[in-house]
Amino acid sequence: MTRLIHIFRLIWSAAPRAMARGALLSVAVLVFGAALLGLSGWFITATGAAGLAAAGFTFNVFGPSAGVRAFALGRTAARYGERLLTHDATLRALARMRIDLMRRESRAPLDRLLRLRGASALNRMTADVDALDGVALRLVLPLAAGLITHILAFAALAWLVDETIALWVALGYLLGGALVLAGAARAGFGPSIRAERGAQALRRAVIDMGRARTDLLVFGRMAAQRDAVLAADAETRAALDALDRAERRAGLALSALAALIAGGALMIGGALVARAQIAPAAAALGFFTALALAETLFGLRRGMAELGRMRDAAGRVLDGAEAPPPAGAADAPAAAGPAVLAARDLSYRREGAARAVLNGLSLELAPGETLAVAGPSGVGKSTLLFLCAGLLQPSDGDITLAGRALADWDEPALRARLTLVPQRAALVAGTIRDNLALATATLDDSAAWAVLGAVALDAVVAARGGLESRLGEGGAGLSGGEARRLVLARALLRRPEVLLLDEPTEGLDPETAAAVLRGLRATLPRAAILTASHRAAELAWADRVITLG
Amino acid sequence: MRRPPSSSDADRAAAAPAARHRGPLSKIEAPARRAQARAGMLALLGGLLWPMQAALVAWAVSGWLHQAPLSRTLWAGGGFALLGILRAVLDDLGGALLFRAADKVLAEQRARLVARESLRPPGGAGPSSAELGAIVAQKLPLLVPHLTRYRPARLRVMVLPLIYIALTAWFSWAAALVLIVAGPLIPVFMALIGMAAKDASARQMAEIGDMNALLMDRLSALIDIRLLDATGRSAADFAARAEGLRARTMAVLRIAFLSSTVLELFSALGVAMVAVYVGFTLLHQLHFGAYGGLSAGEGIFLLMLAPEFFQPLRDLAAAWHDKAAAEAVAEELAGLPDTEPPVLGQGAPAAPLPGSLHLRLNGAAVERGARLVALPAIALAAGEAVALTGPSGVGKSTTLAAIAGLARIAPGGCLEVAGQPLTDANADAWRARLAWVGQTPHFLDRPLGENLDLRGTGADPGPALAAARATSIVAALPDGLRAMLGEAGGGISGGEARRLMLARALMAAPDLLLADEPTADLDPETAEAVIAGLRALQAQGTALIVATHDPRLIAAMDRAVALEMPI
Repeated sequence: MTRLIHIFRLIWSAAPRAMARGALLSVAVLVFGAALLGLSGWFITATGAAGLAAAGFTFNVFGPSAGVRAFALGRTAARYGERLLTHDATLRALARMRIDLMRRESRAPLDRLLRLRGASALNRMTADVDALDGVALRLVLPLAAGLITHILAFAALAWLVDETIALWVALGYLLGGALVLAGAARAGFGPSIRAERGAQALRRAVIDMGRARTDLLVFGRMAAQRDAVLAADAETRAALDALDRAERRAGLALSALAALIAGGALMIGGALVARAQIAPAAAALGFFTALALAETLFGLRRGMAELGRMRDAAGRVLDGAEAPPPAGAADAPAAAGPAVLAARDLSYRREGAARAVLNGLSLELAPGETLAVAGPSGVGKSTLLFLCAGLLQPSDGDITLAGRALADWDEPALRARLTLVPQRAALVAGTIRDNLALATATLDDSAAWAVLGAVALDAVVAARGGLESRLGEGGAGLSGGEARRLVLARALLRRPEVLLLDEPTEGLDPETAAAVLRGLRATLPRAAILTASHRAAELAWADRVITLG
Repeated sequence: MRRPPSSSDADRAAAAPAARHRGPLSKIEAPARRAQARAGMLALLGGLLWPMQAALVAWAVSGWLHQAPLSRTLWAGGGFALLGILRAVLDDLGGALLFRAADKVLAEQRARLVARESLRPPGGAGPSSAELGAIVAQKLPLLVPHLTRYRPARLRVMVLPLIYIALTAWFSWAAALVLIVAGPLIPVFMALIGMAAKDASARQMAEIGDMNALLMDRLSALIDIRLLDATGRSAADFAARAEGLRARTMAVLRIAFLSSTVLELFSALGVAMVAVYVGFTLLHQLHFGAYGGLSAGEGIFLLMLAPEFFQPLRDLAAAWHDKAAAEAVAEELAGLPDTEPPVLGQGAPAAPLPGSLHLRLNGAAVERGARLVALPAIALAAGEAVALTGPSGVGKSTTLAAIAGLARIAPGGCLEVAGQPLTDANADAWRARLAWVGQTPHFLDRPLGENLDLRGTGADPGPALAAARATSIVAALPDGLRAMLGEAGGGISGGEARRLMLARALMAAPDLLLADEPTADLDPETAEAVIAGLRALQAQGTALIVATHDPRLIAAMDRAVALEMPI
């Protein structure tokens, strides 16, 4: 339950004042509702009695009739305000949770980033967060408002009517309600979890079906994938059926409970009237209030039945929320030396892997120097670059940037000095400008065209319609080579002191490759460049070459 | 020139209003009609119990004022509780009927959609995979609230308020007048609000889709975003989208709240006016509208009927919003392109088509939207290796797709495989002899071993991995063949992913391998490994058709077929 309390605190803290006002109004809605019906019943019975006694002219009709109108209008207004305030505050909180999740996801360790399955992360940010909207709206707020209303109603009934009726109504609703709602929570717990997980599995299976369509069709596996999708669907619907049954049972029990309590209040009131302990009008007040108080419970059954789903989703959303942001010193002048980037006795072994990828590697890189790392695929060139970029931690040895250990740099300062263009650098949907703007907050046209020119892409972009021309999902619309040059241009905009490149000219024809490499060096004459390379053109471009493996 | 009115025109005019209601939602809903009608009847029965409960309470209260014996109250109280329980049971039965019917509709729609989308030709005009995921898992369930609520609520609105008005008018025409005046305003408001609600729902749906697409896109670029120190900027972008979704959702909710507030206002004021009117009449201060006065019991009866008069109207108003959401979903479903012919066959496992391989493609073309893509003439015998060359967009990929039965040949063209025309009936059997290497590796959400052995033969992947020079890749993975890779092969390099895809093709031991740019964007060494793997396959007797620009790969094939742009 601590998870849900944590989530409730997050939701409350997103807009505490709006939430507090909303909570007050939700009590007002319930209290006004009970008061409206109770007062109306009292009023009619009392006027009936006065009319019979021909005491009509001594009866003060204006107070009660004004009260009836005030409660009617007040309840309507309170309901509108309460819904608007609490829903808006909740949606704000959910939007904030989504953004936090996104930030957290982008700080995750490299291994996790590389393996991140878009579909499950997407689920976490959409479906799981959506599942939490009921924590305040359908659980905590109505529970608190219902409790407070019952306490107030008990006091009012004991004072205005009779303790026996007050006790019957309060105990009946509180005990009976608790029993029914606890039953709903128990019956709905498992099914609501299964329904949510099933829906997420369904979404993943559908996305796989679309993404791997050709493979699945050619290898005769589409039928099996279809079956997997339909199995996830059947599982989800079976869980929803159980959930619906739990919720309906609770509804049935609550309706029956309300009928019993109101019927009982009528009988007790009648008995008290027969013994002349209370006036008929007071007994009517008791009955109608009891009838109206049923409203305090009905709003809760959905929230209770979905308790399991909320708790489960809260676990996934909160997973890793406590992790502190990586520590590191702020940018400070570092020891001056000839080498801007140095690695000493570097080793790296993947967790659980049998053999090390790198073993005791050392290198030094001076400003303005280009060093190429060569060697067959899988020898650890990309790993070396990830280590130098601070995305992986070496198992042994250390790396320094400008004389200071890499681990001591804080993230923005490190990224300002050092940029890596990984082998599978990604573009995003949007314009060419949007993609370049990922590199810098202040992008002007001349800088954009300058870096595009440096990677021999200016003519291509101009032909496509300039910086505002649009790219599809993942940069679709550009050829492999054009996409490659655009990510290089993007890296140049960072103007790093150290530029790490992984197969920078992959997919480019030899002339373009040579032009791009010349452009890179011309744009960043003082940068230290470390490149993992196969191609002759890249190796020839480097000042020095070291060969791994 | 004027035509004389014909009988068919008249028919059409008469059919027009009916046709207008046959929207996409109405078609989806059809199988649930009967359950909706039966549940509506149950709800009507329940609604008719309430006046009896009210009468019992009125009877008891008037007994208090006239010193009736206690037994009268006890009978009334017991009857009230029993009828209340009966009403709850009726509601429950109706709810069960409706849920079952809605569940069936949901299952049908999903099955239909999945069947169609799974056989949509690759590169077709369908929704993106993320969009499809959202439709199937997120949007289709929005039909359920509508299916379970709208029609029963409509039936109740058509019957119950009239009965309550008649009962009220029996005792007081003035009280009935209050209800009659307040009641009809409600549908007017609902119509106004319903129109706004539908637009708002459609915009909210669109925003959900946009946010999902943006998220999917950003999630795949997370490493770049981090390396460019763009986490903050990217988050701001996303924050704007998340905020947009909140604003759109709030717009939908505001309309919903406003409409329910208006209805609640009418209802509360109706109750208050009836209560006040009854009170003043009982005090003999009002002398109209009640045929010579009311008793307290009659007053209580009228008071209890008033809120229930409004309840069906309020339920229907709430269901209007479900209807708006469901209509937005139904229109999106109807808007999915469905004229495209599906791929041939079912994509199911089948016994390989017998006969020698012999492939003959002649005078064939494939429709791509409005364009007709002409395919080259190819005749291929078992074990032959052919390269398809030509500029981008000329139809190399389409040719491969057509040979695999994933694109339909337009009438008049000829595609023969193993001596017979390729048809729906033999396409699965034909594909059982094929393997495929594509340009963009995709790994299913399954262990690597299963990804390599898509046909589920259970064979040892060792030899295939060795032939594709991929043994070391698997050895370096912490979990080996049990490893779960990211969908584009995260955790390994692009070249490594490509070699694993080649191993998968080798493991299938096909008679014909189709490969689309298998060496594009690869370094020379990996490209060499891929070419060597293809040659090893050919040495085992496999025929190859490879779409490529790569001169080394073209050289490694027996011959090349050049495709040319039509002039």
